[in-house]
Amino acid sequence: MSAPILEVPVLETTGLGVRRRRAWALRDCSLSVPAGRVAALVGPNGAGKTTLMLAAVGLLAPDRGHVSVRGTAAFVAQDKPLYESFTVGELLEFGRRTNTRWDGEGARARLDVLGVPLGRRAGRLSGGQQAQVAITLALARTPDLLVLDEPLANLDPLARHDVMRTLMGEVAGRGLTVLLSSHVIADLEDTCDWLVVLNGGRLQVSGDIDDLLAGHLLLSGPAEAAEGLEAVSATGTGRHATLLVRGDRALGPRWSTRRPNLDELVMGYLRSPQAAALPGPAGVAR
Amino acid sequence: MIWVTWRQHRAQLLTTAGFLVLLGLLLLGSATEARSYVSGYFPDGCPAGFAHCGSVEVAVGLGERYDAVYTLFGWMPLVLPALIGAFWGAPLLGREYERGTHRLAWTQSVPVRRWLAVKLGVLGGAVVAGGLLLSLMVSLWRPVFREGIDSGFGNIGVFNMTGVAPAAWWLYAFAAGGFAGTLFRRTLPAMALVVAGVAATMFTLFALSDHYAPPDRAVLSGTVVLDDPDARLVGATWVDPSGRAVDDPAACERGLDTGRSSAKAEAWQDCLFAEGYAYAVTYHPPERFWRFQWTEAGILVAASALLCALTARRVLRRRG
Repeated sequence: MSAPILEVPVLETTGLGVRRRRAWALRDCSLSVPAGRVAALVGPNGAGKTTLMLAAVGLLAPDRGHVSVRGTAAFVAQDKPLYESFTVGELLEFGRRTNTRWDGEGARARLDVLGVPLGRRAGRLSGGQQAQVAITLALARTPDLLVLDEPLANLDPLARHDVMRTLMGEVAGRGLTVLLSSHVIADLEDTCDWLVVLNGGRLQVSGDIDDLLAGHLLLSGPAEAAEGLEAVSATGTGRHATLLVRGDRALGPRWSTRRPNLDELVMGYLRSPQAAALPGPAGVAR
Repeated sequence: MIWVTWRQHRAQLLTTAGFLVLLGLLLLGSATEARSYVSGYFPDGCPAGFAHCGSVEVAVGLGERYDAVYTLFGWMPLVLPALIGAFWGAPLLGREYERGTHRLAWTQSVPVRRWLAVKLGVLGGAVVAGGLLLSLMVSLWRPVFREGIDSGFGNIGVFNMTGVAPAAWWLYAFAAGGFAGTLFRRTLPAMALVVAGVAATMFTLFALSDHYAPPDRAVLSGTVVLDDPDARLVGATWVDPSGRAVDDPAACERGLDTGRSSAKAEAWQDCLFAEGYAYAVTYHPPERFWRFQWTEAGILVAASALLCALTARRVLRRRG
């Protein structure tokens, strides 16, 4: 599995549990995201992604465990809420007056580059512009951790590209740590270097994406030979089977092996909720 | 934060201020017109004491003028607090939750505790100021018509438009609206709840206000009408010659009046008085105006404080 984490974690949760309407939305979640990483938080609907993010930014009080952020966290919630009757300029004023640290000039410059008019009411902006304004407000706080809940949802492909480019510019510019959720893994493949997989309120995977990909193999071969092989998950039809397995192993010539891509890795874990790939003592497969 | 509060709620602030200005102009116009009407009859000024200067004709004219305006704002004691609750209180948190903007507001560096304190403080203060201004305007306008006739204590509607009552009611409605917003996390149901809640509270306090002080008792003979029209009646009963209260005296035969006539009822009363009966009235004299004002305001302010505390508790519980 991945090497022990030497980097300083910006976001750290230990034994985090959140109960919503009697059921656990999140339980026993211990993870850390090191500084300067762009972490992808993936999982099916209802996996607890939003719950984890709300707890991370202090909007949700955990029922169990702890969550800590080194420095300040900025948050862009799902649907990018803005005061719709405010003009963009007034939203910047809102940010300036409700924050101790505020980079108003940088925000203005970014919106200028993006062509978002400061005098327009937020409610009259396009979806892509609203997302850009919401992210600009968050970035102007010069946070150490930026948490984005589904920042790309409801955006057209061009706007998705622009939003990601804005984010990546900031990350490269000043070592910002980002946690962003999505259920479209293709959006994340090129930009993220850390992966967190949640499934049914439980943490399944947390680690460096390159390490994770290097630590897994995708095997395809005859279904009868798959018996007894320890795999994360297996799919297949009839006589043919495809297995996601941990570590390197030499198998007979009946198997073809290759490295999985991010999508195959994530899908492999989501298919078998009991499997886990976690760093440290928790990394033992359950 | 004060700028944020102003920017977010300026629609309510400006609408309410505009309403108060319009009402002020109306009352000013009405009072000026009434003054010139009276001075038309009494160019040299009138003997002090009564707004109508002792002239029946002027009293009738003033009464008509008073009623014309009073029908306009007779509904104000109930409707204005309900509007304050619905448009100031209910959206305060209901709208934030509904639009998800609480997740924007509460993740800036201003602590949620301070955000809420400034909002409740500034808007609550504005609401109290608005209520006091309404009361001041009504209190300046009314004596032009009613000086020497009543002080606004006997009529519970007028009572709730003068003194500190409007400010207390507005504050209570605002606090109730804020709390309702945290219950539903949506504006519209919170508005409905606060309107129902304010109406229910108002009728409860109307009923309760008789007990703000132990009522005085007067035993009348020869008349059933208390000589002070400004007193607030609590109850009345017949007392037989031996001093026992009787609900339905049988000593005289009571005929039924038809139409607007009350001749038979009066004949029945005269018969009872002749038989040695008396009419006992319990009432609150108008000197209790301020005692009742402060009692009612105290109840409402305490309820407002409780509602604000509950609101804060729900907001600070951090439920996402």
